[in-house]
Amino acid sequence: MAAVQGGVVDGKEEVSIKAEPQSDGTGTGDAADGTPPSASPGSGAAAGGGKAAAGAPEDQQTLLAVLQFLSRNKLSESAEILRREAGLPEDALEPKGTETSGSGPGGAGDVDGGDPASLLSRVTVCPAAAPALAKAGDDQPDVSVVLSAYSQQGDPALYQVYYRDLKKFIEMVLDCHRAELSQVFYPLFVHMYLELVYNNHENEAKAFFEKFSGDQECYYEDDLRVLSGLTKKEHMRGNETLLDFRTSKFVLRISRDSYQLLKRHLQERQNNQIWSIIQEHLYIDIFDGMPRSKSQIDAMSGSLAGEAKREANKAKVYYGLLKEPEIELPLDDEDEEAENEEGKPKKKKPKKDSMGSKSKKQDPNAPSQNRIPLPELKDSDKLDKIMYMKEATKRIRLGADNLPSICFYSFLNAYQGLTAVDFTDDSSLIAGGFADSTVRVWSVTPKKLRKVKSAADLNLIDKESDDVLERIMDEKTASESKILCGHSGPVYGISFSPDRNYLLSSAEDGTVRLWSLQTFTCLVAYKGHNYPVWDTQFSPFGYYFVSGGHDRVARLWATDHYQPLRMFAGHLADVTCTCFHPNSNYVVTGSSDRTIRLWDVLTGNCVRIFTGHKGPIHALAFSPNGKFLASGATDGRVLLWDIGHGLMVGELKGHTDTVYSLRFSRDGEILASGSMDNTVRLWDAMKAFDDLETDDFTAATGHIHLQDNSQELLLGTYMTKSTPVIHLHFTRRNLLLAAGAYNP
Amino acid sequence: MSAPKTIPKDAQVMIQILKDMGITEYEPRVINQMLEFTYRYVTTIIEDAKIYATHAKKSSVDADDIKLAIQCRMDQSFTSPPPRDFLLEVARQKNQTPLPLIKPYTGPRLPPDRYCLTAPNYRLKSIQKKMSSSAGRISVPRLSVGAVSSRPTTPTLGTPSVQSVTSKVGAPVSLTGQRFTVQIPPPSQTATTKTTTPSTPAVSNVLINPSLIGSKNILITTNMVSQNAGGEPLKRKHEDDDDYDAL
Repeated sequence: MAAVQGGVVDGKEEVSIKAEPQSDGTGTGDAADGTPPSASPGSGAAAGGGKAAAGAPEDQQTLLAVLQFLSRNKLSESAEILRREAGLPEDALEPKGTETSGSGPGGAGDVDGGDPASLLSRVTVCPAAAPALAKAGDDQPDVSVVLSAYSQQGDPALYQVYYRDLKKFIEMVLDCHRAELSQVFYPLFVHMYLELVYNNHENEAKAFFEKFSGDQECYYEDDLRVLSGLTKKEHMRGNETLLDFRTSKFVLRISRDSYQLLKRHLQERQNNQIWSIIQEHLYIDIFDGMPRSKSQIDAMSGSLAGEAKREANKAKVYYGLLKEPEIELPLDDEDEEAENEEGKPKKKKPKKDSMGSKSKKQDPNAPSQNRIPLPELKDSDKLDKIMYMKEATKRIRLGADNLPSICFYSFLNAYQGLTAVDFTDDSSLIAGGFADSTVRVWSVTPKKLRKVKSAADLNLIDKESDDVLERIMDEKTASESKILCGHSGPVYGISFSPDRNYLLSSAEDGTVRLWSLQTFTCLVAYKGHNYPVWDTQFSPFGYYFVSGGHDRVARLWATDHYQPLRMFAGHLADVTCTCFHPNSNYVVTGSSDRTIRLWDVLTGNCVRIFTGHKGPIHALAFSPNGKFLASGATDGRVLLWDIGHGLMVGELKGHTDTVYSLRFSRDGEILASGSMDNTVRLWDAMKAFDDLETDDFTAATGHIHLQDNSQELLLGTYMTKSTPVIHLHFTRRNLLLAAGAYNP
Repeated sequence: MSAPKTIPKDAQVMIQILKDMGITEYEPRVINQMLEFTYRYVTTIIEDAKIYATHAKKSSVDADDIKLAIQCRMDQSFTSPPPRDFLLEVARQKNQTPLPLIKPYTGPRLPPDRYCLTAPNYRLKSIQKKMSSSAGRISVPRLSVGAVSSRPTTPTLGTPSVQSVTSKVGAPVSLTGQRFTVQIPPPSQTATTKTTTPSTPAVSNVLINPSLIGSKNILITTNMVSQNAGGEPLKRKHEDDDDYDAL
């Protein structure tokens, strides 16, 4: 299989690999991560197949062309070897050479030996399936003439024939294998269509599309619609998502038996064009075991890149929570059972923070305290924690029989301009981001919002007085709400800092702004994304924040660095949603390519890929214990994931429109979801995760068997009056707050 | 579409396009918006193409000109995000550097001032010095924000002598430290207690429009006498001076 991504033009490597016999379809190319590519053994097959179709004189011409290319790029060794072996009939060399080099979009960065300009010019060159063998090296003057001959090789008109034949074959296969093999249809269809478009066979492309687009799965409808509008090569130019799709491999997980069937069929036919296309564009992750059923496959498929490879979800993830610092609580009237490590021989024992210090030893699943640098706890933070503990004691225990009350904050007269909402952790402030580029902050409590006095006034106050924090506030500026102006585009993401000092907002103008909630002015504008930033989130400990936008990367920033600290690149389409893990060591991003990726803050690597949604993801929430993730998308489903094992563990069906917000209750017993269909639904999270403890995860194969228990897990549906629910928040006492703009 | 109402052909085409792309719900004005955009885009392209054609000394615009015009516009207005390989490479480099350590007890953690938006973004024009003919200084009340004031030094309360405070005229003042320096001549010599011996009469009463004085702090210095330092510009008084007074 051709290593499409990140191809380092290493002639020697190529040659040695090419000599190997064609191996199984289990590719070793790591397309998804773009790491310096491993070999591409399988392309031998591609070339081999092509060779069969190629005529003799063209062979010679291609050989010469390739030799020329190799020598031009100073790959003298490989040129030598090529010359030596040039007489071989099984000459898989020449397509390889140009193919991998031409197909190295990722190679641009890594290549030293190759000619960067020419490589870059081929960045979007179609790496060619055998029939097209369209080593569309159109940009290379010398070889192009020769190579363009190949584009006629695989007759575009025959694409329909190939596809139809494959379809017939798969339909006649045994039932148990049919579901698995049907996975091949969609990626094959899209890739073949894009090949035709890219090689300027517009009419054939249109005919191909018309004939076969109706056969695809319903959840690919949106993608197909986009494709239908794309008939010329120029149309593809600005569409990075499609370009990435063309150059990356679509991952399929098929059982060994089904795979053997398919392989045998395609290889025995005289035109194994499809086989070469498959090897080119698909990565088939084989597993041993029973073939999966249609429902199992449907649950996991839907993303733009296929499913996740098994290796992608094998890295160790420290999903445990960090130990809470020990803070002495002031004496209370309430007599609670509290840990008391060193029993003081006093009558009233000081209560220790009982939150995390139950076990002295380290949770094996938790990261170490200093895995990533975290800000120290200031006095004000300690006070906040004490408040938190006090509130926690008054917390209502929720459960299936004890549902939370819901308080809904409706934004009136927003005229569909409300685009983002956030609450502070102690639920005292609401911030709203609007399409008119303003951010407004309201006080939910009777306490008004005040600005800090100016410096001269601050001189006057008595700094030693007890209520100095009150005195620094300027009473004259007290008001219910404050408007923050500064962005030049609709504000799409809002996040309060945990210490209530800062507010972050991200907008369509590509900046993320940090506002001070003491002076209600803008402090910093972080410029990095040059495209709309769809979401931003502060870390649970403050100081770090993450933002994700249209440029398909998520960036990790610290408030005191004007450039990002980490870049999480890997998604095929916009990053629409970002969220920090409670231990601040991981960031999860949801994207328009329908996948969810978990990134490690320390290294920037993607440690988990979750596929299964059928639409762009708009809501993400971690359970308070850090083990599970809930995600909501435009398909109206809420999916539950086990982070440690990297598996889907639940599916909550019920919403009929995009799920825009998800939140777990403070102790993780209830999951609340809010949606565009104007409802808030409560789900029993305890029950959904309970069954898993006893389940035997087939972690090896990644098979999931989801029970269809959405109905049992649904605890309640609450309708609003034509107000889509944009944000949910559980107060510290487990009261559910919801926010949305009234939309008559 | 009711029978008597006829929609222009362009609009019908636009409606059809929207339908083909699967957009079923939209406000009626969307069609106008789309048509406007289309018209503007096409006009721009054709105008650009005409320029290219004349530059190439061609008599008429042909397809190549249009292609070139489209290409240039695409690179200019409709840029697309960087390609994936580039992003991966940049990410790889950026992710290699370790996370910086956090210094404790540093107050608000913000980037260096250059990258913050906390500096003042304005500067007031300095007021021309007015030479008075009379012996004493005439101090006309003026309003100067922050440091900028080019008045002759007037000793303020608490400092009997002329005080030349070093400062730079026109130096930017931090926004948070904004203050007004209003020099108000004390009416009829009944100045406050700490006045020094006025040797020259102050100017008569001047009304200060309270609206000019913002809600910010007002540093009011009474116009004290004895300016022997003729002609030296008023220097900035530091904020931490104890020489303020409220009238």
